[in-house]
Amino acid sequence: MKLFSLIENEVIKMIAKKRLMFVLAILIVLISVFAYGQNQTLIRTKAQLSQRLGITATNDWRKLAGQQLIDMKNRLDSPYMDQKSQASTRVRMEQLQYNLDNNINPLEQSAAKFTTKFMEQSIFLFLPLLIIMLAADMVSGESSSGTIKLLLVRNVPRWKILLSKYLTLIILEVMVVIFAFVLSALISGFFFGFGGWLAPVATGFKVLAGKLDSSSVLNVPQWQYSLMVYSLAFFVSFVVGSISLMISILVKSTAASIGIIMSTLVAGNFISYFLSDWKITRYMFMVNLRLTDYLSGSFQPIEGMNMIFSITVLLGWAIAAVVISFVYFTKQDILA
Amino acid sequence: MSNTAVLELTDLWKTIKGKEIVKGVNLTLYPSQIFGFLGPNGAGKTTTIRMIVGLIKPTKGSVTICGHSVAHDFVKALSNVGCIIESPDMYKYLTGMENLLQFAAMDKTISQQRIKDVVEMVGLQHRVNDKVSTYSLGMRQRLGIAQAIMSKPKLLILDEPTNGLDPAGMTEFRNLIRKLAYEEGMTVFVSSHLLLEIQQMCDVVSIIKQGSVIKTINVQDILHDDRIEWQVDDPENAIALLKKHWNIEAVQLKKNTISANLSQNPLDKINELFIREGIALTYCSTKQNTLEDLFLDLTEGDEIV
Repeated sequence: MKLFSLIENEVIKMIAKKRLMFVLAILIVLISVFAYGQNQTLIRTKAQLSQRLGITATNDWRKLAGQQLIDMKNRLDSPYMDQKSQASTRVRMEQLQYNLDNNINPLEQSAAKFTTKFMEQSIFLFLPLLIIMLAADMVSGESSSGTIKLLLVRNVPRWKILLSKYLTLIILEVMVVIFAFVLSALISGFFFGFGGWLAPVATGFKVLAGKLDSSSVLNVPQWQYSLMVYSLAFFVSFVVGSISLMISILVKSTAASIGIIMSTLVAGNFISYFLSDWKITRYMFMVNLRLTDYLSGSFQPIEGMNMIFSITVLLGWAIAAVVISFVYFTKQDILA
Repeated sequence: MSNTAVLELTDLWKTIKGKEIVKGVNLTLYPSQIFGFLGPNGAGKTTTIRMIVGLIKPTKGSVTICGHSVAHDFVKALSNVGCIIESPDMYKYLTGMENLLQFAAMDKTISQQRIKDVVEMVGLQHRVNDKVSTYSLGMRQRLGIAQAIMSKPKLLILDEPTNGLDPAGMTEFRNLIRKLAYEEGMTVFVSSHLLLEIQQMCDVVSIIKQGSVIKTINVQDILHDDRIEWQVDDPENAIALLKKHWNIEAVQLKKNTISANLSQNPLDKINELFIREGIALTYCSTKQNTLEDLFLDLTEGDEIV
């Protein structure tokens, strides 16, 4: 039962530090800006369509989709296109065709669609940054302020102190993901209406050796697809949180630990582009964060990577981080 | 013996990065004792204290608190300890009370009433609901003591506790420590560089230098060991007279000053003798031995502050 009190302590500290409020504020601002921008783009696209082609996006979208299909087919024939973009173009064509076949208007926006899209765009950088804000000073903050001394001279074993911090972090991760979901569904609802949760979504496209494999395509309702996206988001938060906490333990200064984990993450975003031939990069956690892209099949960072591979790699990193954290935390001498 | 000891350090060693910081410290503390731990900077005081509370693992040797080994039975051993290690670092973004509640939550034996009592004991009742970031160093020191004594520990460890206290606060603090030791039966372990503080507060003092305890003494013993200083025109003769008549070993301090321990011999008779023998006595005073003299003597004038 003591563990519960310890977790309570950690939560009180987190709230008093105003970290959680800060994360929430960032989420609200960013989602609002993002939703507003989406809305503007949508209005402009519709205006352009009616101006140039004389069609309205709501009624004559089939005509437009047909045009887009032809465009993409032409582009595929171009000799300058590399294999990777060929594959993703094929996926997009397949999705568009699917939309046509099932009478799903891709131009229509909804809160459900926005909510899903928001997390798909956040999962590899924005969401991890929010988690880092919470995790990176959980231990290093106590080391640099000296309060770690007060914490570790109680009649509580060290592993229990760390476990309480770790569990608190997981609770916060769940909260951040839930807040991201609720806030984007609410805020975007004001722009696009609150519906769209039952609309069908095609998922399961795969690219095998540069060829599109549509044998395992599934038709799921939007809410279910959203749920999958946000579950993956939680998994990513958990992995990034575990690694951040480890760095927070190993590096005694908060600034240094935030710096290390952030630069690693940002580096991960271009490593997959520049070093995609270098096989070892696929075992780095930061190039495996775009899990949601496997759902839509639109993106493949490095040839040969798939959902199972990425999840395994990420899980490996998380387990290693937790083991290192606990061993180091329970054994270290507190000198400062 | 070991059953009644509150704290027992046995041949404690610590090597950090190839440097021997603590070299074989042995100490035994008994209930209701106020123990002073003195030493120049870098002598290994803080490292020793950190080993006692388990923040640092000893390279060799053991720490036993109330019969429980810190290395093997950390939780039981630390149940008997309250401490401030170096500066009283608190969560600055919480109030004093919130800080205390954090630590109370980690030990279920602490009641709400006890927290209230402790706050009053250290005199923080008017500021306890303010954020610690607004506290002065003295107030943070008081809060530090409050969290340390909250669980009614058998062993209270205070590392440089009077840092930042004003003279009135120091007197108050001294009285509080005495009260805790004699009324609540706590054994108090104080490390300080303020010699006068230790002298006024402690029963037993250990002096540590370069990682080893070089002397453990009863404070009362030094304080009662009174010395007399005379200023005379013929010091050699005076020393000879003291030796001849009273068997007192006197030393010449300065050109005309001699000093000796009287140990029960009558000063008036000695002075009478000096005058009778034609020695011009211009000045005579008793000089109490202080811990400082001893300390400087033992540490050979090393920097102490």
